[in-house]
Amino acid sequence: MNAPPAFESFLLFEGEKNLEAWLGSEAQPPSHCLSLHIRQLLKDPQVLFAGYKVPHPLEHKIIIRVQTTPDYSPQEAFTNAITDLISELSLLEERFRVAIKDKQEGIE
Amino acid sequence: MAAAQAVEEMRSRVVLGEFGVRNVHTTDFPGNYSGYDDAWDQDRFEKNFRVDVVHMDENSLEFDMVGIDAAIANAFRRILLAEVPTMAVEKVLVYNNTSIVQDEILAHRLGLIPIHADPRLFEYRNQGDEEGTEIDTLQFRLQVRCTRNPHAAKDSSDPNELYVNHKVYTRHMTWVPLGNQADLFPEGTIRPVHDDILIAQLRPGQEIDLLMHCVKGIGKKVARIANPRLDTFSREIFRNEKLKKVVQLARVRDHYIFSVESTGVLPPDVLVSEAIKILMGKCRRFLDELEAVQMD
Repeated sequence: MNAPPAFESFLLFEGEKNLEAWLGSEAQPPSHCLSLHIRQLLKDPQVLFAGYKVPHPLEHKIIIRVQTTPDYSPQEAFTNAITDLISELSLLEERFRVAIKDKQEGIE
Repeated sequence: MAAAQAVEEMRSRVVLGEFGVRNVHTTDFPGNYSGYDDAWDQDRFEKNFRVDVVHMDENSLEFDMVGIDAAIANAFRRILLAEVPTMAVEKVLVYNNTSIVQDEILAHRLGLIPIHADPRLFEYRNQGDEEGTEIDTLQFRLQVRCTRNPHAAKDSSDPNELYVNHKVYTRHMTWVPLGNQADLFPEGTIRPVHDDILIAQLRPGQEIDLLMHCVKGIGKKVARIANPRLDTFSREIFRNEKLKKVVQLARVRDHYIFSVESTGVLPPDVLVSEAIKILMGKCRRFLDELEAVQMD
């Protein structure tokens, strides 16, 4: 196939406290699952703006823009958001497993 | 008092009005409402979050999740449908096909058959690798020939009597172990999930003889490798009678009921666990990428 090899890259255009990240990948096209990250970013009171857009549906590219207050870097906001998400998901996984186990034990 | 109630309703309920659904979007972001502290708080999430399993059997699972956001519920749904990997037939090598069914139609049908093999035990095939190795490929053989039944009654018109092997089912597929697969997988464990799926029909003199390669894939790349069927909808109908006797139907915003039905390859609770792991993996990869770039 003519498809270029899989890649995922960040291009950062930084101005003041802005961060615009551009990411794309052939093998695993990033999907709207990223909306999770945006939602998490929005929960942070020091994040002034967070959004994503897909420039063209036929091209697998997503642009994320994050703007924060002056004393807080966007990368830090992003990292915190992802870390929070990961802890939320691991809690979810654990609770789910416990719930399944309880159900199975209830049946037996 | 009414204002406080309205705010509470806007924050926590999705209203089904007569002409449409209102209040759909999450609005509880920090700074939106005065008097509410909406900044992300892990402890508060832990306190409010709940998972209850309603019903569980071999192939279907129904469970409630209370306290999560629509974005997570939807991300789950998308991943369960399209990104949990399964093994499915990808390549079909046709040696002989004299049946009525065209090669490509037959191949397409074969690709839709769910294969009973745990995809976690296999690797993805490298791009450009034509042959496939024992670590990423399963091989099946399908060889059926239809003949006339010599013992049929003279004036019978029932195909079941007249012909032998005129219906090709998935049970006619035989597994051909590659490399050390025979040692790893006991006899009978690698097979199609259902052995009564009709693949094709034949008449005397027609034969199908082909070899199939199954690889690991996700629904995103190959639309047919879709594993479970999942319906998500939020319930918990809350009726609220107002002064003017206008009945209002509203749904609690963060209570989601998931119903997962598996194709039979993996049990539904394993599917959900895998989906959660995939979601976490995505987050972690993101984090790694971010850190790698920050180094510059």
